[in-house]
Amino acid sequence: MFRRFLRPISPSARREERIFYLFILPWLIGLVVFNAGPVLGMLGLSFTDWRISLDNLQFIGLDNYATLAADPIFWTSVGNTLYIVVGRVVFGTAFALLLAILLNQKVPGIPFFRAVYYLPTVTAGVAVALVWIWIFNPRLGILNYSLKQIGITGPPWIYSSTWVKPSLILMSLFQVGPNMIILLAGLQGVPKELYESAEIDGAGNWAKFRNVTLPMLSPVLFFVIIISVVSSFQNFTEIRVMTEGGPGESSNVLIWYLWENAFIFLQLGVAAAVAWIMFVILMALTGLQFRLGRRWVFYEV
Amino acid sequence: MNKQQLSRRAFLKLAAASSTGVALAGMGPLRNIAAAQDTVELTFGRHWEAAFRPRQAEYDEGFMERHPDIKIDITYNTWADHNNVVPAWAAAGTLPDIIYVHGSRATPWAHEGIIIDIHDIVTADEEFNVDGMWEESVRLYRVDGRIHALPYDHGPIILGYNKDMFDAAGMDYPSEDWTMEDMAAAAVELTDADMGVWGWDGQLDLGNGGGGFFVGAWGGQTMNDDETAMTVDTPEVREALNHWYNLIHEAGAAPSGTESEAFPNQNPFRSGACAMGHIATWSTPSMRALANFEWDVAPTPMGADGTRSTGAFGSGYGITPTSDKPDVAWRYLREYLSLDGMIFMWSLSGRGSPARPEGLEAWLTSDPAPPSGRYFLEAMFDYAVTGPPFSSLAAAQVSNILGREAGLLRLGETSVDAAIAAITEEGQAALDAVAEDM
Repeated sequence: MFRRFLRPISPSARREERIFYLFILPWLIGLVVFNAGPVLGMLGLSFTDWRISLDNLQFIGLDNYATLAADPIFWTSVGNTLYIVVGRVVFGTAFALLLAILLNQKVPGIPFFRAVYYLPTVTAGVAVALVWIWIFNPRLGILNYSLKQIGITGPPWIYSSTWVKPSLILMSLFQVGPNMIILLAGLQGVPKELYESAEIDGAGNWAKFRNVTLPMLSPVLFFVIIISVVSSFQNFTEIRVMTEGGPGESSNVLIWYLWENAFIFLQLGVAAAVAWIMFVILMALTGLQFRLGRRWVFYEV
Repeated sequence: MNKQQLSRRAFLKLAAASSTGVALAGMGPLRNIAAAQDTVELTFGRHWEAAFRPRQAEYDEGFMERHPDIKIDITYNTWADHNNVVPAWAAAGTLPDIIYVHGSRATPWAHEGIIIDIHDIVTADEEFNVDGMWEESVRLYRVDGRIHALPYDHGPIILGYNKDMFDAAGMDYPSEDWTMEDMAAAAVELTDADMGVWGWDGQLDLGNGGGGFFVGAWGGQTMNDDETAMTVDTPEVREALNHWYNLIHEAGAAPSGTESEAFPNQNPFRSGACAMGHIATWSTPSMRALANFEWDVAPTPMGADGTRSTGAFGSGYGITPTSDKPDVAWRYLREYLSLDGMIFMWSLSGRGSPARPEGLEAWLTSDPAPPSGRYFLEAMFDYAVTGPPFSSLAAAQVSNILGREAGLLRLGETSVDAAIAAITEEGQAALDAVAEDM
């Protein structure tokens, strides 16, 4: 078992190894100092009564976690988070894939359309959120104006407990640029011979998509889904700028709940516990995805 | 070729002159260092918007001229972020010497050691007239009876009205003897839904200043005086909330939460879409700047039994524990928050709401003050009460709950009974959770 570690290493391989570690050292230091360190620090602080000062911290065991378990708003925020994450990931990935397929066609002006669809991604999040406040405006917004032109009375969008989460999911569809680019690159990597073989076998467009495109794209899709889940959990700007968790608690997601506890209620120990719960949920979901991924992700050998 | 040679004496003269020059040149910076060491830098965390900063800069320049040993360095936060930035500063140990303190934050920030107890400094300073401030304003910053910050502004909420709309309808302006029923009847009469015009602006605010206005006239209170119990589950509060709810959702005399979104000036009354709205002293400059119509103010309408009530609220400044020069910080605050300082900053500038009666009196002559601005002064003297929550450690949680339920009522997404039940249950739980720490 340890043979590979005990195997003698040539001087050139050792030098190469040293150079490798030298190159990744800045990243490793960053990971430990700015990621792993705070993550572990938060775990410790989540067992304390930390409010502002780090002096005189009292160890209170699992009290912060018990407080969360007893708080109905915490559970509401968990439900809201899962609703929005599922919506964003499912519809966002499907939309990104659809766009990638469209933008993979050989038609004039494709670079222009690729740039247009990517544009919202390079715009500051706050600016995008402010624009969407106007788009969603029930009285003056372009969305309800457009619906009115075809005889539909639009909903109140973010000003309604019922519609706020679908609104946020809808808005997220316009920020699929990075996923679209990744999927587009994936699509362009699918060997043409596979499509030609499928055509010889009499496969139509749907059959080619289902039996060639999707399997060949599955590792890329897997990656896109994982990063989408993570980024959906961390989505704070829209909530902060557009809804502040409302109306009521209908858009109160975990990251907003965490922020409120930390900076409004000054309960930093509770906020640390929320951060750790989010971390555990994300790790669990990622682990689950890797497990499920074995069934549907196809890796070329 | 006749070479000119430097004599030994001439060389020594030159060398001496050069050395002296070098020495004097070297002493220049030394003198500057000595001067810099005598200057104390006073750091601030404030939130003024860009338009008001020149006034602040003017004040500070004058202050530094009077006190050349003090240099002022300001960090400006946005209003929306200040209350979140300060705890982060505190956690990081990087608080400036003096910070802006909203009235609702004084107690939790004092409890968390973000601002220090300045009671002895204030009361020992015989030239600083703390008694000349509204007692209601100083009350916000008393924690366990001791002053932890001092107010710069404090004002009441009274009735504002659009004179043009009343004139167009041929109706009398709101009068001193108006009751809430009179106001509601006028609101209904002034409403023209087809034209997108309402009689009342539909804002429903139950926290701090708003609670007194919306439930006080019915004899209700959102919390008891020592902020240990929610008191919304009473016939008085229920009747008050039903009054406002029905005005919005049954009479249609006010825009709902959805309808009131995105008026050009972010406020349906200020935008000229509503004939009446509640208005505070601190919102008069934006009325003056943005309202495209003639407007004025009237006393808060009375309840059915003749009770007149409203809320008042404000903000102040505190000194932080990380300041190593609280004495210097106080030298600034004692002038800034003196009557002269307030008149310069808040009265003559038209900003409004100075926390001293004489300051408010001086403000009445400024441009943004409405013609009947004296009603603000009367409200402060006669019936305005600083509105809770502010003295409980759960003030932020309770404010959140009150704001959330008021928002849902305005949207028509909850009933008055359900809102009262939610406020009572969740608010009381929040208060009970901090009872031991108080």
